[in-house]
Amino acid sequence: MTITDTPIESISPPPAPSLLRRPWFLSLVAFGVVVVLGALWFKIFEPIQVLPRIRLAPGFSLTDQAGAQVTSEDLRGSVVLYTFTHSACEEPCPAPEPTMAAIRDRIDEVDTGDTPVRFVTLSFDGTDTPAVLTDRAEAMGADGEQWFYATADEARLKAIIGSGFKTYFERLDNGTFAFDPALILVDGRGVVRGEYRYQTLASDTDRILSHIDILGEEVRNSNGPAGLAYEAAHFFLCYP
Amino acid sequence: MTTVRRTLLALAAGVALAAVAWFVVLPRFQSHVFTGTVIQSQTPAPDIALATSTGATASLGDFEDQVVVVYFGYTFCPDVCPTTLSTLKKAVDKLGGASDDLQVVMVSVDPARDTPEMLREYLGFFDPDFLGMTGSEDDIASVATVYGVFFAAEPGTADTGYLVSHTARLMVIDRDGYLKLVMPGDVTVDQLVSDLEYLL
Repeated sequence: MTITDTPIESISPPPAPSLLRRPWFLSLVAFGVVVVLGALWFKIFEPIQVLPRIRLAPGFSLTDQAGAQVTSEDLRGSVVLYTFTHSACEEPCPAPEPTMAAIRDRIDEVDTGDTPVRFVTLSFDGTDTPAVLTDRAEAMGADGEQWFYATADEARLKAIIGSGFKTYFERLDNGTFAFDPALILVDGRGVVRGEYRYQTLASDTDRILSHIDILGEEVRNSNGPAGLAYEAAHFFLCYP
Repeated sequence: MTTVRRTLLALAAGVALAAVAWFVVLPRFQSHVFTGTVIQSQTPAPDIALATSTGATASLGDFEDQVVVVYFGYTFCPDVCPTTLSTLKKAVDKLGGASDDLQVVMVSVDPARDTPEMLREYLGFFDPDFLGMTGSEDDIASVATVYGVFFAAEPGTADTGYLVSHTARLMVIDRDGYLKLVMPGDVTVDQLVSDLEYLL
């Protein structure tokens, strides 16, 4: 057979391999798939949960039940759960102080490491004296140390509770107050991390305790390289 | 090399690339690791509308499309304020042209002594572009409260007069008017530059 007898098709260059057989393409696809699956895995399974950093908690100077000045700077470094009430609030008082008491009683169930947990109940009534605050605190089982009652002058309270904690209250003609019951969780940097704004139920105790636990875990573990994972959890909105 | 082996190698390379992207590239370029605490607020930063050291009145809305660093301090402040303002000045210098879109604002926590003229003179020592803001004690207290800032006068010496104890931290508001970062007052120049560079 002479060379001129070879069919044309047999000397044509071989057809290019399909894209699916090219290593660089497969690498690219695998890369994309792993990144997307990784992000989905993080978002769906939320291996780390965090509480949102909602806004700054207000700065303040209060008078507590012992008549001492307590400022927002004094509470820096502590996880603080705030609630709001007034001394004339009678049963059925909507203030979630019983929920606060239940959380305080079970606070040893959560691990916040070296970060102390404090409880603060702010009175809407700027005329409350330390003696009145003490009576209310004792009735609710607040010890004045881990959980204390406090107030400030009424103009400041409007800014602290209304503008700062975004909690509605208004003095009524009969001297009592209309208000929205709320519990506000603030971290050691003075950032609001949880807001619980309705008539609280018993189960809220478990929920808030679990949130304090999540906060404690973040405080304990978010230093160094692990901080990246916690920032990723914030980035992917891995909230409970 | 068989097709199966080649495919497995390619997949392994892809997984390695993804791991590098996930742990090195993504954190570095997509979600900058801030020194400051990132706030995820759904609402714009509370407004600050006060008299300025230029003699006019200004509010945050006047700094549209700029990054604003807000600091609460006072001109008689003996230690922390000059240190923080000096850090801010060094950061501005280091940012170079990027700082054209940056506005530093110091809100006075001592309105009784800090007149607009005094603020202009004091801030001019650091950077003439730094803006001072002041107003009535009530107005300033309202602004300070929502920015988590506490301040109160306390006794000083005959030389200093009274002092003002205050929260010392920097609040960074992004171009869209949202409070984005809260930084401690003792932040370093490099940390500040790194975070501001990302926002600018």
